[in-house]
Amino acid sequence: MRTNKFGIRIAASALAMAVSYGAYAVTDEDIINDHKTPEDIVSYGMGTQGQRYSTLEDLNTRNVRYLQPAWAFSFGSEKMRGQESQPLVKDGVMYVTASYSRIYAVDARTGEEIWQYDARLPDGIMPCCDVVNRGAAIYGDKVIFGTLDAKLVALNKDTGKPVWIKKVADYQAGYAITAAPIIVRGKVITGVSGGEFGIVGKVEAYDANTGDLVWTRPTVEGHMGYVYKDGKKIENGISGGKAGVTWPGEMWKNGGAATWLGGTYDADTDSLFFGTGNPAPWNSHLRPGDNLFSSSRLAIDPDDGSIKWHFQTTPNDGWDYDGVNELISFDYKEKGKTVKAAATADRNGFFYVLNRENGDFIRGFPFVDKITWAKGLDPETGRPIYADGGRPGNPADMDGKKGETVVAQPAFLGGKNWMPMAYSQQTGLFYVPSNEWSMDIWNEPVSYKKGAAFLGAGFTIKPANEDYIGVLRAMDPKTGKEVWRYENTAPLWGGVMATAGGLVFTGTPEGHLKAFDAKTGEELYRFNTGSGVVGTPVTWTMDGEQYVSVASGWGGAVPLWGGEVAKVVKDFNQGGMVWTFKLPKDRLASN
Amino acid sequence: MRRLARVLALLLFTQIVIAQEVDDGDRLLNRPADRTYDIILESGYLKVGMYQDFPPYSYEVDGEPMGVDVALGRRIAQEMGVEFKVHWIVPDENLGDDLRNNVWKGHYLAKRRLADVMLRVPYDKTYAYMQDSTGEYINEQVVLFGPYQQETWQIAFDPARLDSVETVAVFQYNRIGVEIDTLPDFYLTSALAGRMREQVRHFKSVEDAFRAMRSGEVSAVMGMRSEIDHELAKAENSKFRAASNGFPGIGKQVWDVGLAIKHTHRQLGYALEAIVDKLVKSGEMNELMAGLNLRYSVPGYYRNFLDEEAIARAEGSR
Repeated sequence: MRTNKFGIRIAASALAMAVSYGAYAVTDEDIINDHKTPEDIVSYGMGTQGQRYSTLEDLNTRNVRYLQPAWAFSFGSEKMRGQESQPLVKDGVMYVTASYSRIYAVDARTGEEIWQYDARLPDGIMPCCDVVNRGAAIYGDKVIFGTLDAKLVALNKDTGKPVWIKKVADYQAGYAITAAPIIVRGKVITGVSGGEFGIVGKVEAYDANTGDLVWTRPTVEGHMGYVYKDGKKIENGISGGKAGVTWPGEMWKNGGAATWLGGTYDADTDSLFFGTGNPAPWNSHLRPGDNLFSSSRLAIDPDDGSIKWHFQTTPNDGWDYDGVNELISFDYKEKGKTVKAAATADRNGFFYVLNRENGDFIRGFPFVDKITWAKGLDPETGRPIYADGGRPGNPADMDGKKGETVVAQPAFLGGKNWMPMAYSQQTGLFYVPSNEWSMDIWNEPVSYKKGAAFLGAGFTIKPANEDYIGVLRAMDPKTGKEVWRYENTAPLWGGVMATAGGLVFTGTPEGHLKAFDAKTGEELYRFNTGSGVVGTPVTWTMDGEQYVSVASGWGGAVPLWGGEVAKVVKDFNQGGMVWTFKLPKDRLASN
Repeated sequence: MRRLARVLALLLFTQIVIAQEVDDGDRLLNRPADRTYDIILESGYLKVGMYQDFPPYSYEVDGEPMGVDVALGRRIAQEMGVEFKVHWIVPDENLGDDLRNNVWKGHYLAKRRLADVMLRVPYDKTYAYMQDSTGEYINEQVVLFGPYQQETWQIAFDPARLDSVETVAVFQYNRIGVEIDTLPDFYLTSALAGRMREQVRHFKSVEDAFRAMRSGEVSAVMGMRSEIDHELAKAENSKFRAASNGFPGIGKQVWDVGLAIKHTHRQLGYALEAIVDKLVKSGEMNELMAGLNLRYSVPGYYRNFLDEEAIARAEGSR
């Protein structure tokens, strides 16, 4: 009898596949349903819509005071700076990134390290925007994250060994990646960070299994998008139709609009939502026009990268109001009808509610106490109504003297910066980590760059109030009303999470992980993690117990700036830990 | 014999290559070495900071450092009796960043890497004593001294496309190339109420802008005078001419360029100052530049106290 060796081999490899991919592989369904499966966290945003809402209610307003640390894990080495990561959890393993493009797999029950991967960064690299990393994506048997030298790295999630590494952009040209990638139908989708001038933002999709480029979509008007099929690069339409409509001359060629904070995905409308950074150059007087698609939100087709619609929050930006902040999909009822909406709290101080099917403006309102650069929003279009004298002057008009100072509020770091807000399906409120600060901007009398005279602007950032900068706000997206607020001495720089237990979690630069009553804003819990919390908390359930985890390590953009704000934060020490808490079983029973 | 010479030459060459970049900071404490004047002399080398890929000032050809600042760095090291080592600087957003990353503190990703002295640092008292919004001196960690050259702006044009460049107004109608994010870029996109804006084409370098002029994409290029002179001296650019127009509205028409050291290393500063002073006054600085086909102007600093004859000597015009 002849044995069918071929058949045995197939059976054996199928078995191997089942072991490596089977029960432990992350599928598209897992990712799309992430917000409904509290036993794991397989997307940045705890669901691709980015609501950061957990349906878990074991931990709630009555028992949160019994939340206790389960373990803490150090990222090690003398490298610290900001830890802005959001952990992922799958099958009892936590995948968490750290500053300087590092990633760790940790036993989620014990905090023991399974593997660690440090991206080897090139000598002489000068990342534009600090050395943070905000998180990873997970798909199949791979964990995928972006690096400071603008690469995507896919590692085997069980061993930490690289499977593929792809260069997304040239770090020498000023590009980097700090945001978490998002996965939709087997594609890893990422944006890029970039320096002030010369770069063009883009969103790109890569095959999660092979790392092959699938499509690329530039975010500045006039640049061609491409799809890649069978190794061929096929034109897929110019962003915005044609060049030079909202830009003078050929300035669109270097228009900025970096997609540095990544994006969210809404399965209902099958749209990716990516935000874009400010236009380049920074001096708005050099580029009259709207400068599309800078400081905008874009709805993008995940299959080919086509732009479905756009909404620009700050046309012709002159204040560094990046439009990158996350656009969160949510539904609400109005006059008996369900509205498919999406909301974002912009750097510019306005909160926008959009129709996520077509990008139409539904309503907008300030979420900060004071806005000086605009008098309000056009009620029909949502376009800002600029305030007279609110725009910084043109440095080119200078004659060797310090120019007139313009005070603008919010400051360039924004009413809200990168730190993600949360939407509670229970209260229907958005929980917005915001800051009250202003900036003085003036033209420098003397400035040099690379051995040559230059035109520079000076600016300084100042707290708007004496006793606090940070404000965690509960905002009603239907009315624009602030339902409650929590004021914090230092600027808030960490993400927020809401739960069905009626809780809202966030961290403070002072080092505390805090929990608030989602309805009243009453502070119910605090734990000092030893360094500032600028990461984003997550929660999941494991072995019948509810866990909460957050990265701790002070840093990010705030300590990079001096002025009056520096006085508030100068004594905060750096760190690099992930703290994990749980509600013990007996406490759950007792409530 | 010959083979031995070759081996020796190879050894010497290897040494030069290895000698380029030095990371001599304290590994354990992860901080730069505190290289005072005495330590530099003892170590036998001087680390001279200069911008990477920045012709004609400092750049590499086949791994060999070239340019005015390289030549000047070599001369300074020679005068001090030590070996010259280059410390390449990747330019950051402004001079303050470059001084912090390379002269007094070190970049946060390369904390052990500092230059002993940095070249091509604008010498400007207003800049040196600039205060921030709280009244602190922004540049208190460095000493800016030893001006060795005066720099200015220059346009080169293609006579086949433009008869002449009497004023910049011609660039309302004719394309001009600039290096992106430089003063020429800002100037041409904003001066004359933005009327030249549509004609400005942006390039990564002046060299790229000249390439575009050769292919007919632009009719002129604006840059620093040395950059323009360097390009005009190339055979492929021989048909282009230097313009003699002014630049109405530019605040800084000329500026002096000098050296920078960490403020605690003043003894080194005095030694370097004396060397540079000699090179400028003797006309040797002019010869260094003339040898590279670049025009030389004595820094404004010297014009305050040198007589005409001495200036003429320094500029090689007698």
